[in-house]
Amino acid sequence: MKTTRLENAILRLDAMRTGVAGTSLRLDSRCLTLVTVVYLVCMLSVPLTALGMLIWFAIYPLVGSAVCRIDFGGVFRKSLYVLPFVVLVGVFNPIFDHAEAFSAWGIVVSRGWVTFASIVLRGLLSVQALLVLIEAVGFTGLCRGLARLGMPSYLTTQLMMVYRYMSVLLREALSMRRAREARGFGRKSFKVRDWGPFVGQLFLRTVDRSDRIHRAMLARGFNGTLRFFNTAESRWTASDTAYLAAWTAILVAMRIFDVSSLFTHIA
Amino acid sequence: MHMSDALLSPPVAVAAGVAAAALIVAAGRQVKRSPADSRLVPMMGVMGAFVFAAQMINFTIPGTGSSGHIVGGILLAAFLGPWAAFLTLASVIIIQCLIFADGGLMALGCNIINMGAMSCLVGYPLIFKPIVGRKFTNGRIVAASLLACVASLELGAVAVVGETELSGITALPAGPFLAFMTPIHLLIGIGEGLATAAVLCFVKARRPELIEETPGEALPGKSFRKAVVWFAIAAVVLGCGLAWFASSNPDGLEWSIEKVAGTSELVAEHTTSLTTAASAVQASTAVIPDYSSSLSGIIGSAMVVLLVWVVVSLIRRPAGAVQKVDNENNPS
Repeated sequence: MKTTRLENAILRLDAMRTGVAGTSLRLDSRCLTLVTVVYLVCMLSVPLTALGMLIWFAIYPLVGSAVCRIDFGGVFRKSLYVLPFVVLVGVFNPIFDHAEAFSAWGIVVSRGWVTFASIVLRGLLSVQALLVLIEAVGFTGLCRGLARLGMPSYLTTQLMMVYRYMSVLLREALSMRRAREARGFGRKSFKVRDWGPFVGQLFLRTVDRSDRIHRAMLARGFNGTLRFFNTAESRWTASDTAYLAAWTAILVAMRIFDVSSLFTHIA
Repeated sequence: MHMSDALLSPPVAVAAGVAAAALIVAAGRQVKRSPADSRLVPMMGVMGAFVFAAQMINFTIPGTGSSGHIVGGILLAAFLGPWAAFLTLASVIIIQCLIFADGGLMALGCNIINMGAMSCLVGYPLIFKPIVGRKFTNGRIVAASLLACVASLELGAVAVVGETELSGITALPAGPFLAFMTPIHLLIGIGEGLATAAVLCFVKARRPELIEETPGEALPGKSFRKAVVWFAIAAVVLGCGLAWFASSNPDGLEWSIEKVAGTSELVAEHTTSLTTAASAVQASTAVIPDYSSSLSGIIGSAMVVLLVWVVVSLIRRPAGAVQKVDNENNPS
């Protein structure tokens, strides 16, 4: 339970809640969800050896984040967190796969390195696409979009409740840690015998608060299904249809025809 | 135990996704049918948040250099009943995927089945319930938790191997993969079983009715709040114990794949052997090793993408809305 991890988790949960939908996004969350699914299916079905084809799929997170007015630098930085895992998955490729892929300027590059690069790129791109979606529409917007796409209300309610309580729990932990630090004479780390009561107290406070929230919900007419606070439902417009159709056409085309082969012929 | 997208082919991922969706719909019907009032909604929410936190604590499996985290399915099922527990665990897995990129979006169906269904819908009703019966003694709870946790984790491990094999990953034979997966998940299962039993026995001593009557099956008019508090204390005791063993070692699944011979190679095999219509078209238009190995193609494509990046960042300036949200909500 380090300082940065706790605060990062809270920042992340908050930032993911609303997205940029309220500011400038004119696209429906259902549209962006469908584009993301099409993108993932096309991108993940590219063969690992086809690195040239895969690189073209980096265009979607770039253009998509620009359309949704998201800072791509931030998306890129956040996607780097998956690097340890994808590197662990891919690091054995260069070791085991020595077949020659191509040679350039006297340096032979093995197929293992090509597939390693593909795995890393796949990992980064799939997370970037997910980040573009969630940062554009937010967790609430995504849930609302999924509900309107046919996801049952009990699952939406459950997702929203877990999401809400995670935020409550982390916020309580942050304020408790601040209180402890203020009285701790510079001590930062927890001894094990302090940690137990700390987390126990945290959970009690979380349950207390969730109980209050539940009663407040009942007082406002909660009947088992959460109502989304933003009643102004976004409408599926012609721009949504155009956006979805354009990306579907581009992504399927990039999946079927290898654009990078054009460069081979030129060279 | 979270599977990543890299392990799966799209057909297997979609099939598992459909199966998981069907189970979620069935669970939703069962939960709606149960006589639970609206208290079950916040109860499931709290439990989901708790399991999310508990899953972050990895414990070391002695003698293997590996570590695993609690799945929490049996624990949830013992308090919520199988269907409500399954829904709760599924929601946790979905949030882990969407917000924290833990496990792939395409692998979501597989992960919900491997971790959620195997424990809540198989281990709990078929093993835990029959062993415990109506006599909630400590011995029975320990035995039931151990057996149910080991069985559900082993089933999950076998499912991971099965799904990997079905994806057409031929380079990683099922035999050695299973030989690595099953002993590791036996140990994780024993750890999970003991941890689950410790919590259940603690709660049984304080609030026996909580275990004896689960709200998902039949909801009596009891105060859930106190029960949740005791559950939390037991969980904290458990957490303290596990925290000592918490380690940054790789997860059991990653470890066993790593030992078998490098997943990545298999991934390469499996993706090239994809039999989708798209790859058939692509195979007919070009020979894979030829164009894929083309350095000029890779460099050319990368340059175009970089150009797009530059153009995009010049044309449109980001609104920076996300950063604003961060600052507004956290003035300190």
